[in-house]
Amino acid sequence: MSVNPDAVDAGFFDQLRKHYSEEEIVELGAFIGFNLGYHTFFGSLKFYPLFSPDGRLVSQAESERLYGAAPTSLRPEAAK
Amino acid sequence: MTHIAPLPREAITDPELRALMAEGEALGVPDDLFPRIIARAPEQAAPLMRALLMSHARGNVDHTLKEIMRILLARFAKDKYFAGLRSTKARDMGLTEMRIDEGCFKYEDDSKGFSEAEKCALRYADLMFLDASQLDKTFYDEMKKHWSEAQIMELGAFIAFHYGMQMFMRSLGAVSRTTSIPAGEPI
Repeated sequence: MSVNPDAVDAGFFDQLRKHYSEEEIVELGAFIGFNLGYHTFFGSLKFYPLFSPDGRLVSQAESERLYGAAPTSLRPEAAK
Repeated sequence: MTHIAPLPREAITDPELRALMAEGEALGVPDDLFPRIIARAPEQAAPLMRALLMSHARGNVDHTLKEIMRILLARFAKDKYFAGLRSTKARDMGLTEMRIDEGCFKYEDDSKGFSEAEKCALRYADLMFLDASQLDKTFYDEMKKHWSEAQIMELGAFIAFHYGMQMFMRSLGAVSRTTSIPAGEPI
């Protein structure tokens, strides 16, 4: 839906129906749309997780160092 | 024909969803297709409709500006459903198709008369999914000259939510049946 929306066609939905009910497909589609929008918005606000991977409360500066300048999903290697 | 068939209207019995559907139809955005599709996921339907209507038609930012931003985003998303819908409230406030097109394609042109605040908000919608890297500290500092932090959050959440639902409806192959756009006008 995000990187190649044209690929989400009738054939794709036929494949989805083999595994999910129509209720579940609508739930997934709305969930993906919601996250697609909000992750981009939140990414533009430059805020980072409050806790480090080992559970420590950290500052935003330290969190940025820990988690990187861009979300993992937006890094080039994630697209490979 | 959408990839997921909408429920018949009479199959929707949740009074809250029925009221929200009526509110959407009165506004013109959305018509009954969106709620009849999301009604297939009953737990999701009313909250999604409520968020869609609230973010568009309420709040502390001019509704006609949000309507232009909504259409700009739908056109960018190549979503024929939401791009084809028009807010009757915005139309009654004086918004025309010509002004919508100017807001979508020529808002930076000083001769079109958009204020600096409006230009900033339209740029926000334009850049969010075109190149979010440009929404940096400098951009937000410029936004803050024209909009309160509450208004910036209202605009950002509006952009994020509507674009997400537009991509969802595009994926379903949805097309508006109730468009009020004159024939020949761009969708």
